Amino acid sequence: MSSERMYPGTGPDERTHFTPYGAFEVPADLRELFGRFDVEATARRVRNFRYAEEWIMLTLGGWLATIPEVPVKTGLGKIIWESAQAADALGKRLPELRCGRASVSASEAPNAGFAALIQAVAEPERPDLTIEKLAGLFDVLKPHLLAVYERTARETDPITDAPTIEILEDVMRRTRRHVAWADEVLERLCDTDGKRERRRRRAAALRAALEACGGVTGALADESRQAS
Amino acid sequence: MRRFIPHSELARDSRFVRQDNAQATVLSQLPDDVNAVVEVFDRFAPMIERAVKGTDAEPLFEAYGPGFALVTLNEPLRPGDPAAETRLKLRMHGIYVGELQALEGAGRSLWDFPDAPWEFKMNMARQCWDEARHVQIYEKLLEHVGGRPGMFPESTFLFECACHDDPAMRVAGVNRGLEGLACDVFRDMIRYAEQIGDEKMRQAIDFVLADELTHVRFGSEWVKEFTKDDPERFKRTQEFRKQVDKQFSFGGARSDREDAAIPIAWQDRKEAGFTEEELSELLQISGGGPSKQTLLEAARILRERHRARRAAGQAPASS
Repeated sequence: MSSERMYPGTGPDERTHFTPYGAFEVPADLRELFGRFDVEATARRVRNFRYAEEWIMLTLGGWLATIPEVPVKTGLGKIIWESAQAADALGKRLPELRCGRASVSASEAPNAGFAALIQAVAEPERPDLTIEKLAGLFDVLKPHLLAVYERTARETDPITDAPTIEILEDVMRRTRRHVAWADEVLERLCDTDGKRERRRRRAAALRAALEACGGVTGALADESRQAS
Repeated sequence: MRRFIPHSELARDSRFVRQDNAQATVLSQLPDDVNAVVEVFDRFAPMIERAVKGTDAEPLFEAYGPGFALVTLNEPLRPGDPAAETRLKLRMHGIYVGELQALEGAGRSLWDFPDAPWEFKMNMARQCWDEARHVQIYEKLLEHVGGRPGMFPESTFLFECACHDDPAMRVAGVNRGLEGLACDVFRDMIRYAEQIGDEKMRQAIDFVLADELTHVRFGSEWVKEFTKDDPERFKRTQEFRKQVDKQFSFGGARSDREDAAIPIAWQDRKEAGFTEEELSELLQISGGGPSKQTLLEAARILRERHRARRAAGQAPASS
């Protein structure tokens, strides 16, 4: 048994023998403190993201009955659950960001323009509009969310805001899968030039509306400018 | 997108044809009287003939007339029975389209009630994924027994009965009425799969049944939550559930009667949260309707009339 000290004493000669390591030394961790968003800004973004994920879930729920293609119905069934899980995880982050216990189900549109965009995405209803439904959500809204989530995860403080990053990484992994799935479905459904044009036209119209309202945070132009 | 769509607007691809829901509604209200049963099916004959045209039910109509469902659908699944294969396909197809409607019903519960509590939305979202898997599972099982989607007409009766515009009644109808019926049907299917030694079918349906118990539990909990502090609303919700249970008993085909095609899965229902009182009510509600003898006699008369009409080159009696 060692006679060296196991616990520090009160004098300078009463130190333990354990080797000192910095918090980021093993394994080497190059993360630095400071991110682009403070606690309030992060909470606002999380509420904005939650708003988008919740409305995606609701919209897809409504569409199930209006889509005639069975594999699209069943594919969306899983995406509904994953969108609900995303909204749920984001909501659970809010009380941790000083928003109060009741904030777990708080969603917030950044502005009236984005709220209108969400309603425009949800608008197609007839069973012959599967292309318009999927193009709006999976060619425009979800890729936009993915880009903003990626930027947020990259630019927020990687140490102090690590819990938000963990949530976003999980959501991003699933969102990438959703976009890839829908792209495959749309490629199959858009089997004529006319249908491909419908897809393109629908996406272009919603992209313009998305840019006009500033996207899910309402600050798309500013953030893109600063990022570049 | 509108809220609260009618059952006639459930979207389907070109494989599917619809069956008028009036037939199922009337069947659930028939008395134990041969003449009444014959009269109703005779009246619906043109409608039934139109719905079965071009489907795998058309030969059944040709063989038995408009009462073919009485001799195929309302009989228990028994191994070795000459009609067992047809009966199995009919039932499997009915479950497949029922799962489609359950998926659509759960999805609409999200869209139709955007202000519902978050936990309710989580439960309905989870149910959407479960029902989506059930559609996939039953499409596989349908193929496994030699069937295919769209081979028989689809009745949207389940969606029509269950989808109320009050969230408490919606969950009472969908999660307790429809999913409760699913518990009964799936337990019976598991029993049949065991009898014929079909392990693939038994295992798949056993997993689905486990999901259904969860969905019934969602319903039991949300009925309580939505109606707490409002005994009148609770009473209306229970009345609605009883009405749905009556319709989903298909004139005694799903009941505790000895001649029932689908026995009630008492143990599964208890596990899912149905109370003793509710189960006693179900026993009363589901047991009414025509006896097996009445249905078989009505089916015989309907078949003879159908053959006579065919021999005379006539169309079925007009409705």
